[in-house]
Amino acid sequence: MTISESIQSIDFLTAIRESALVYPIILGTHLTCIAVFGGMILMTDLRLLGFCLKNLTITEVVTSLRPWKRVGGVVMITCGLLLGSSEAVKYAPNPYFWTKMVVLTCIGIHALVFRPLVYNNTEALDSSPVIPTSAKAAAWLSMFLWLSMACLGRLIAYYEPRQAVQALLLIK
Amino acid sequence: MLLQNAIADALNNTEWAFPLAECFHIPAFALSIGTITLVDLRLLGVALPGENPAKLLKDTQPYTLIGLIIVVLSGFILYLSQTAIYLANASFYFKIIVLLIAIIYNYTIHSKVASSPNVSPGVAKLVAAISLALWVAVVFGGIFIAFV
Repeated sequence: MTISESIQSIDFLTAIRESALVYPIILGTHLTCIAVFGGMILMTDLRLLGFCLKNLTITEVVTSLRPWKRVGGVVMITCGLLLGSSEAVKYAPNPYFWTKMVVLTCIGIHALVFRPLVYNNTEALDSSPVIPTSAKAAAWLSMFLWLSMACLGRLIAYYEPRQAVQALLLIK
Repeated sequence: MLLQNAIADALNNTEWAFPLAECFHIPAFALSIGTITLVDLRLLGVALPGENPAKLLKDTQPYTLIGLIIVVLSGFILYLSQTAIYLANASFYFKIIVLLIAIIYNYTIHSKVASSPNVSPGVAKLVAAISLALWVAVVFGGIFIAFV
């Protein structure tokens, strides 16, 4: 048995996969989190760029939304893990899934790099006359990375191993 | 009808057209519902306490509208690709009805309450909770189209 087979044969993952109701409910929760917390990430980024919420300080926006983003992130990732691992055999050969995981890793790196510079340094940003390039770079990168996450998540559903094989045969 | 067929053909004959439309659909609903949620959380008194709801609504409204336009257009394109399948789907009808209610609610009661200064906190909270419930129902209605 391969690793992906043994993952998805875990009892509760099998139950999720085979249930007509549980799988779509987890998927719906995953997408609801995307809507709610994706919107928060976006508004934070837009505030960093100075496009909106300008009568609030960056500190107010970042600190007020942070607990919500954390809760949302945990729920979103938990749902994502359940969805992916319950279909591990389908996901293992899927290049969109792995690309999404690479982008997710990039989001982790983004956090490590920009947390000390931007997100935990908001008071300095607020007192600076212009928003520094590092904050703007953090905002644009964050929007790009999360947009990629949403699109890749959708594309996972369209990967057909058979088609890929056929395409290869045609090329030959 | 002709246009509909042309769009359906284009969608069905191009492998990436449907997924591409979905790639617009999902980020756009994050944009529209996300910005509405922010106003809701403010009305509930649990986020951005320093901003008054009217100003927050005014600030987020353009993004909400852009998101709604893209999400509805891309959704319409998705629908046109396989009208018969959607028209036979109970979850699709649920989604469209709740969506219409949610949009009307958003631009009437919701925006009125968010922008008026003399609303009791209880009313504001109720209005925000209904708004959240409507939009979550729209998302779930959309997901269940693929599962009924």
